[in-house]
Amino acid sequence: MATSRSQIQRTVGAGGEGSARAGARRALTAEAGFGYLFVAPLLLLIVAFIYWPLLYSAYLSLYDWNFVSPDWRFVGASNYTRLPDDPRFRLAVWQTVVYVLALVPIKVFLPLGLALLLWPIRRSRAQGVYRLMLFTPTVISFAVAALVWLWIFNPLQGVLNQMILGAGGSRINWLSNPQMAIWCVIIVSTWKVLGFNLLLYLAALEAVPDEYVEAGSIDGAGGWHLLRYIRWPLITPTFFFILVTTVIFVNDEVFSAISVLTDGGPFDRSINLVFYLYQQAFRYFQIGMASAVAIILSLAVMLLTWLQFRFVERHVHYG
Amino acid sequence: MVAARLPLPISRRLGHAALHLLVILLCLLTVFPLFWMLSTAFKPATEVFRPGVQLIPDAPTLANFPEAFRVFPIGWWFVNSTVIAVATTLGKLAVSLPAAYAFTRLDFPGRRLCFSLVLGTMIVPFVVTVIPSYVIVAKLEWLNTRQGVIVPSIAHTAFYVFLLRQYIATLPQELFDAARIDGAGPWTILWRIVVPNVRPAIAVVTILAFLAAWNQYIWPLLILNDLDTKTLAVGMQFFARNSDSTQLWGAMMATATLATIPPLALYALAQKRIISTFVTSGIKG
Repeated sequence: MATSRSQIQRTVGAGGEGSARAGARRALTAEAGFGYLFVAPLLLLIVAFIYWPLLYSAYLSLYDWNFVSPDWRFVGASNYTRLPDDPRFRLAVWQTVVYVLALVPIKVFLPLGLALLLWPIRRSRAQGVYRLMLFTPTVISFAVAALVWLWIFNPLQGVLNQMILGAGGSRINWLSNPQMAIWCVIIVSTWKVLGFNLLLYLAALEAVPDEYVEAGSIDGAGGWHLLRYIRWPLITPTFFFILVTTVIFVNDEVFSAISVLTDGGPFDRSINLVFYLYQQAFRYFQIGMASAVAIILSLAVMLLTWLQFRFVERHVHYG
Repeated sequence: MVAARLPLPISRRLGHAALHLLVILLCLLTVFPLFWMLSTAFKPATEVFRPGVQLIPDAPTLANFPEAFRVFPIGWWFVNSTVIAVATTLGKLAVSLPAAYAFTRLDFPGRRLCFSLVLGTMIVPFVVTVIPSYVIVAKLEWLNTRQGVIVPSIAHTAFYVFLLRQYIATLPQELFDAARIDGAGPWTILWRIVVPNVRPAIAVVTILAFLAAWNQYIWPLLILNDLDTKTLAVGMQFFARNSDSTQLWGAMMATATLATIPPLALYALAQKRIISTFVTSGIKG
């Protein structure tokens, strides 16, 4: 704000001269003034609620603090070095790896496959209905979706177990079974997030110019070759975008599903690092330790993002 | 284009039929949980707990809806969700649109740096901002208030800035030159040229931002602790965990149905527009 105001004042001050050059300079500075004015609110917000918190988290991670107490004890790196001693932290790390390894390929490739299934029948009138149905879960809230699944997974009256009983099987304790809970969360997350990436892939396929495909088929290329050598290279930017954003958001998304479906249980067997952070901060008030987890997680995500730009992006064809 | 009008060969038509069948199967699988939610919402308690799978209620009832309102302040949750979603969306538009215009058409020193800062927020994981933002909100005494949820959420808007910027970049430069020759300043150009010409992109940002705000979970869960201040998404979790209400599946599914209507209706209205905007703005990493 201060910058933009001084810019405007300078502009007003320069108004006294009458020459054309001063006029041009005045126009330029006025433009710059408006430029700053227009970006100032956004920058203010992102500094206050994103960049400053990033730094503040790093700072908090060096202290022992419980949210309310006036004393802050500087503990150096001990919040970080203590973490591996906590079996719940080790469990959360391992389970985060499981979630990421399961959900990233599912979220990146399954919608791609679906988009390719839908593509040949895109001129069909049913297409709009298909898209609407496949996208529905994405539109609704994760918490609401998880609640519906909580009812479906219900061990006594849930429809899933009723179907299994009807088919002659025996009840499964979906969410209270330590081996099963994490997979239930993964199933719900998969169901929930498929649609958005599907939409992006369909838009990308639609943006491939018809002439390219026609030229290919005139040259005698069949369906597979058209896909492999014409469509696929042209949708790689979308593929890359989806890959990068999926890796960034996957841990946060899983949080809501864990929170509603299992609340982390049974015996913490479905927590990920985000949920562990939430427990440390807002249930045990270990702010320093929770901040250390936030920093570790962020560094890991940024490193993964950097690696993707370094090693995957070279295969991306920007039109 | 000519080929499209000719009848398809038999093998192609059989292939398409198989595809349709497969896709229909997937669609049914996808909507089943929501169908089940609806079905349960209209079942009397005796049918909810009857063994076996009953797809359509025998004696459909509306009783679950007043029951839900009796147990929890669903009305307040609905109001809170609406106010928070609308205010967050308007806030995001208000800061993103002028910035997107400035980044594409105004010249000022540091423009690239500012834009990089905005895009950079996309790779900062949300969790790292949670504890400090909570401390700020607590200091401002905004815990348990709507503004405590709204204001920090507006900062997470980089994707929309990017989308709007891509769209503004496709407008012809002559449009802006002509306005400038007529003596219009950046403020006038923003309102008279940019806003009317990027309406499709604004519509898409509005819808996506509204959906995201309506559905957000972690942040309101932390900020809203009093029962009356919760949003639907957060309140429902409380519904499921509270021991007095864990068995009220009919009422819970009724609430879930209510929470699902606004986002679904919005999406159904705007589906075509969302896709075409993604096509024109070209999502490129």
